[in-house]
Amino acid sequence: MKREGRVYTIIFTFIISFVFVFVLAVANELTKDTVEKNQELFQIKAILSATGISYQSDEEAFQKYNSIVSTLNNNGSEIYTAQINQENIYATIFSGSGLWGTITGVLAVNEDVSRIVGIDFISQNETPGLGGRIEEDWFKRQFSGLKIIDSEIKIVTGQNGGDYDYENGQVDAITGATRTSESIEKIVNETISNLKDILGVSI
Amino acid sequence: MAQKNWIAIAKDNLWYNNPVFIQILGICSTLAVTNTLINTSIMTLGVVFVTGLSALTVSLLKSFIPRKVRMIAQTLIISFYVIIVDIVLRAYVPEVSRALGPYVGLIITNCIIMGRTEAFAQSNPPLLSLWDGLTSGIGYMYVLLMVAFVRELLGFGTLFGFQILPNNFANWTIMVMPPSAFFMLAIFIWILKGYMFRKEVKK
Repeated sequence: MKREGRVYTIIFTFIISFVFVFVLAVANELTKDTVEKNQELFQIKAILSATGISYQSDEEAFQKYNSIVSTLNNNGSEIYTAQINQENIYATIFSGSGLWGTITGVLAVNEDVSRIVGIDFISQNETPGLGGRIEEDWFKRQFSGLKIIDSEIKIVTGQNGGDYDYENGQVDAITGATRTSESIEKIVNETISNLKDILGVSI
Repeated sequence: MAQKNWIAIAKDNLWYNNPVFIQILGICSTLAVTNTLINTSIMTLGVVFVTGLSALTVSLLKSFIPRKVRMIAQTLIISFYVIIVDIVLRAYVPEVSRALGPYVGLIITNCIIMGRTEAFAQSNPPLLSLWDGLTSGIGYMYVLLMVAFVRELLGFGTLFGFQILPNNFANWTIMVMPPSAFFMLAIFIWILKGYMFRKEVKK
């Protein structure tokens, strides 16, 4: 058969595509479970850290999640609840648009939605080092125990030294990441009002 | 071409004909991933792996590939290795995979790989092609690591995530954003080529 002939070319293309794609399919199949487990673990870790449960290792995270956190299903949206210090904590997974892409994460609130318990992010595509800093501890820590005023929080550009008051419903924005900070404010406030609806808490 | 010895190929790829600062290839990823050293190392290791092995594979298959479909066959082989890298990262180092996001998939568009398979592997024996691919990958790697070193140090004050500069150092936010990669790359090209020309003149 001629190497430059039409028939050879078609057969060659078919065989080479088949072989390579087949190997990829096998590789994908072999790692599918690990990948799924990684994603699940990531979500579990986010829920745990938003609700303020600490863990040391992956196994411990799984174990604590299974023993402490339970899932309520409410019209298709899942609510995670945990009882910590005799108080019920509710958490939900949110997603909303940031500057460059969708930001998903977990927001946890207390029983009467008067305070945020914690926040953690699952995925985001904000500018690394600017908007991407929402994943840093100092930013997330600002939300832990923050009082919700008029069913919303505000992200403010700080005056001198930043805002360390957890009673005023305000969070410091990230310098140089105004749009991301604004998006977070919007997303968090939407999530708060969703949670209120679901939990049946009136203002 | 085929008689070139191994050391000459390495010298060419690492210095006299470096893919980044002489041929100005693979610039998109230079801009995108060089703001932290960890991301850069993983990304460039991926590129070294893909360039090396796709050059080897193309060279092994070259006598079977009809000329008409050779580009498509090369692209297929390159994307095969890129997807393998992606799968491995997702399954075994999920954190890195999350940090790099879509950039791993974009290794396919790295012109260095296509350039080496088309210009070298198509007409050279397999082991020599593997060597050529690996050394061009390494030529790409060290330039990117140099850029990332400066960007991470000045942008975050850290190296590989460890705090290096004192805490009161004001991070240069511009270093974290893509434009700084243009400046840094241009400065490197200036220094390295300046050095090269000076040596030539002395001869």
